Amino acid sequence: MSSAAEKVDPEKVVLWAGEHEGHDVISTRTFGFWLYILSDGMLFATLFAAYGVLSYAHSYYTGPTPAQFVAPWYTFIQTMALFLSVLAYGFSMTALKHGNRAGVINGLLAASVLGVVFLGLDIHDVLRMFGMHITPWTSGGLSAFYMLTQVHAAHIFFGLIWMLVMIYQVMRKEFTEEVIGRLISLRMFWQFQAVMWVFIYVFVYLWGYMS
Amino acid sequence: MSHGHGSNPLAHPEVQMANNRSYVTGFIVASLLMAAATVLVSGHLLPPFALLLAITGCAGLAIIAQVYFLLHMDLSEHSIWNTVALIMFIPLFVITIGLTWWMFSQLYLRTMPMIPGMPGMH
Repeated sequence: MSSAAEKVDPEKVVLWAGEHEGHDVISTRTFGFWLYILSDGMLFATLFAAYGVLSYAHSYYTGPTPAQFVAPWYTFIQTMALFLSVLAYGFSMTALKHGNRAGVINGLLAASVLGVVFLGLDIHDVLRMFGMHITPWTSGGLSAFYMLTQVHAAHIFFGLIWMLVMIYQVMRKEFTEEVIGRLISLRMFWQFQAVMWVFIYVFVYLWGYMS
Repeated sequence: MSHGHGSNPLAHPEVQMANNRSYVTGFIVASLLMAAATVLVSGHLLPPFALLLAITGCAGLAIIAQVYFLLHMDLSEHSIWNTVALIMFIPLFVITIGLTWWMFSQLYLRTMPMIPGMPGMH
């Protein structure tokens, strides 16, 4: 550094960059939102921990256990709906890369519809279980089961609302840094729900079914 | 690498990293692993402990595939800090679940009486 300082020509020295580099809005917001998503992951960690300690045989007392009410292939269809929704959102982001507004809106619409299918299957499953008198207040184990699966469903619900807002914004606004930043944040949120769903599907539904 | 005000926000690396081939790969890998886990469990094709190991393996691989192909976690200049945050998050996640589970399993071992009519311990 000192040798460079000796060669500075006061007549030609550049004291600041000619172009304002600016604040990288998209990178900053994306990283900040990623940290939020990871803290959301810690919310799931506490619910997984609660389910872990409340899924012993005595947690269900003498009531029904997941082995009696989980239907693996039904929940597998739910899994496919969520994975396809995430895939459709991915296609929307590739359309965004090419500035293709119609492609972005179609991808978001497909992702929303598939998200609604996921949520509809979840609600149908809950109603089926309620019809069998398998309710959250039946036992501690069922409280933990419902809490974990329905907190995930609530994430999907709020993600869907966000998606509708983004469809409106993409239709009405230009592709500004703000709109693009929100689309990327929602992409990470949506993909992260699929990652959490893998844990829920395998360790709550499938493991519960085989136990 | 300048993406300050005035430049096209669509040229930002966070936008340009979108890639259909990568998304489709992530989708197919994760779906096949979930299908495999479902087949194994619904058919009870393995003894319980081997079954648990097999579905844990499926879940682990599916999550790695999603994190790599969908969430773009890699060592590139743009994504490295997202990856670092994720790597630092994993021990927190594992410790929160693991230690809570361990504490209660030890407690149950010492305090829980068998309840008549209760299904067998797993």
